[in-house]
Amino acid sequence: MNNEARQVILDSIRGHLAASLPSEPQAFANERPSEPSLPANVCGLFKENLESVAGHCFITTDVADVLRQIITDLRVQRIAISDAPQLAEFGVLPGADDIFNFDVGITTAQAAIAETGTLVLDSSCERNRLVSVVPPVHIAIVPASRICATLADVLAILQSAPELSPVITFITGPSRTADIELTLTIGVHGPKELYVIVDEST
Amino acid sequence: MNHLSSETFRENARAALADVHLRGALKNATSLFGERRKSAAASLPNWEELRNQARAIKDEVLSHLDKYLEEFVRAAESRGAKIHWARDAAEANAIICGLAAERKARVIVKSKSMTTEETHLNAALEAAGLQVVETDLGEYIIQLADEPPSHIIAPAIHKTRGQVAELFTSELGMPPTDDIAQLTSTARATLRDRFAAADVGISGVNFAIAETGTIVIVENEGNIRLTTSLPRLHIAVMGIEKVIPRFADLDVFLKLLPRSGTGQRLTTYQSFITGTKRHATDEGPDDVHILLLDNGRSRMLAHPVTRQSLACIRCGACLNACPVYQQVGGHAYGSVYPGPIGSVITPQLMGIEKASQLPYASSLCGACREVCPVKIDIPRLLLHLRGEISERKGSAAERLAFKLWARVMMSPALYKMSSLVGRVLQRVMPISRAWTSGRDLRPIESKSFHELWSDE
Repeated sequence: MNNEARQVILDSIRGHLAASLPSEPQAFANERPSEPSLPANVCGLFKENLESVAGHCFITTDVADVLRQIITDLRVQRIAISDAPQLAEFGVLPGADDIFNFDVGITTAQAAIAETGTLVLDSSCERNRLVSVVPPVHIAIVPASRICATLADVLAILQSAPELSPVITFITGPSRTADIELTLTIGVHGPKELYVIVDEST
Repeated sequence: MNHLSSETFRENARAALADVHLRGALKNATSLFGERRKSAAASLPNWEELRNQARAIKDEVLSHLDKYLEEFVRAAESRGAKIHWARDAAEANAIICGLAAERKARVIVKSKSMTTEETHLNAALEAAGLQVVETDLGEYIIQLADEPPSHIIAPAIHKTRGQVAELFTSELGMPPTDDIAQLTSTARATLRDRFAAADVGISGVNFAIAETGTIVIVENEGNIRLTTSLPRLHIAVMGIEKVIPRFADLDVFLKLLPRSGTGQRLTTYQSFITGTKRHATDEGPDDVHILLLDNGRSRMLAHPVTRQSLACIRCGACLNACPVYQQVGGHAYGSVYPGPIGSVITPQLMGIEKASQLPYASSLCGACREVCPVKIDIPRLLLHLRGEISERKGSAAERLAFKLWARVMMSPALYKMSSLVGRVLQRVMPISRAWTSGRDLRPIESKSFHELWSDE
């Protein structure tokens, strides 16, 4: 390890800070901004915000039924699933080499954010990293009880775990780009379509 | 092609102004991003409070940067990440080439990183015999064209769909088309193949959290998720200023960054990576390495005015707001960091003698300061840098002229005489061409205010 570089950089930081003129009196207030109030119906708000970024959202008490319907409508054969037990009947767990050969990936989500229409996937709870990004369609199931109102709420929940998960992913709609002539194009590297099923039975 | 120098900004700008297509593209891009930013900011009633809070957090970090970096390193290492420190670009590139060689890597996929643009990492990796593929669509396009990025968040905004199609036809053998969806899906298919073959993934970092050792990377396309999930080794490259104290601070920065950059409430994906995977059979790379780069940043801490340059979160809002950038675009600045923030950062990173025209590439209108999500006082920074430049290389004649001017202004008699002399001189000789080539000089009135007053 390059301990010399580490020492030189830290010394340079300390030296330059010490030689600096005193900072100007604190000009910027570090006060927690007041949160705007949100509607009480977090499920409805989540759906509305997800749909505003081209995601599809179904709120149901019969997840398996909606899931089967989506799969039928998509007319897809090759379905990859995460290792969440409730998904076992719907597809196969992909290996490291064949992840590129699926039409749909199904996962659950460990939480969601209503104010932005965002899914929160925690890699320590489920084998969800590749299944949720590689296939052209991603279907995710999230319990209604796990939908939080705000980003701050979700950050607090994530941090309350004994140990932060190695990878947490926020997903807000399908993959998108506007890199050519600023024209919005859906589905560049990640899924072209995102379906979220909100499970109200729990 | 098109690798311009910062020291020829005036010539670069003149050439850019003559490019009608470029100016059209810039107008569309900057006005669209500007409008989106404005309405995204307006949708949050506490926008001003958020900006203040973000800046206060950045100020807190920067004035104790050593402490927060050490805290970050301890937390990341305790979760299995490997940390590297690099004093400059050459050292950073050597470390990364070394890691690739250790693993006998052949193919490297990269997601967008301004920091690795700054260190010219791709050239170093290619010189070491490696294939490097940029995977962000805009970065991929400019890599194929061998051009630098022209905008921090939209690297290829200067290219038309026709130009992209020509490039894909000649470089990828794609049949000619001007359909953007088809161009995008060709890039997707081509890059999928590279993702599958890649031994190493290199990413940037948007925020590094001292408290938890987490790095956070934001994007829309999904290429960062693939870059950080598929290859066996992930290397994240970050400037030392990217650290923030607490996990909860993300609430502030994740509200400000996407809204200021693209006008989105959140970008499509945020990846929060804390150390390495727990079990060998888990998904993801075996190793996560994080490289901390100084490359001139610690020097900027030496003055409270220059220090604020390090608060920048690279959103690009100041580019879109700047009347100079709107006309000349990114390449004219001859730096990977263009626009107002580039005019401030580039001279400090590269050395003021290599970019001495950039602090003058501004009318000091203050539009950049108005939109900056962390309230960097860019006009003040530009003036500070101009002061340094004139101290170093201002001419003796200029200094003498300003001394004389000061004397004249302090004496009513001399002032009266000077306006008389001025009126005469203006008729007989042309005044400084550098000043008048870009603006009109109003003729001095035949009677001064004093004279008009006493005539009454």
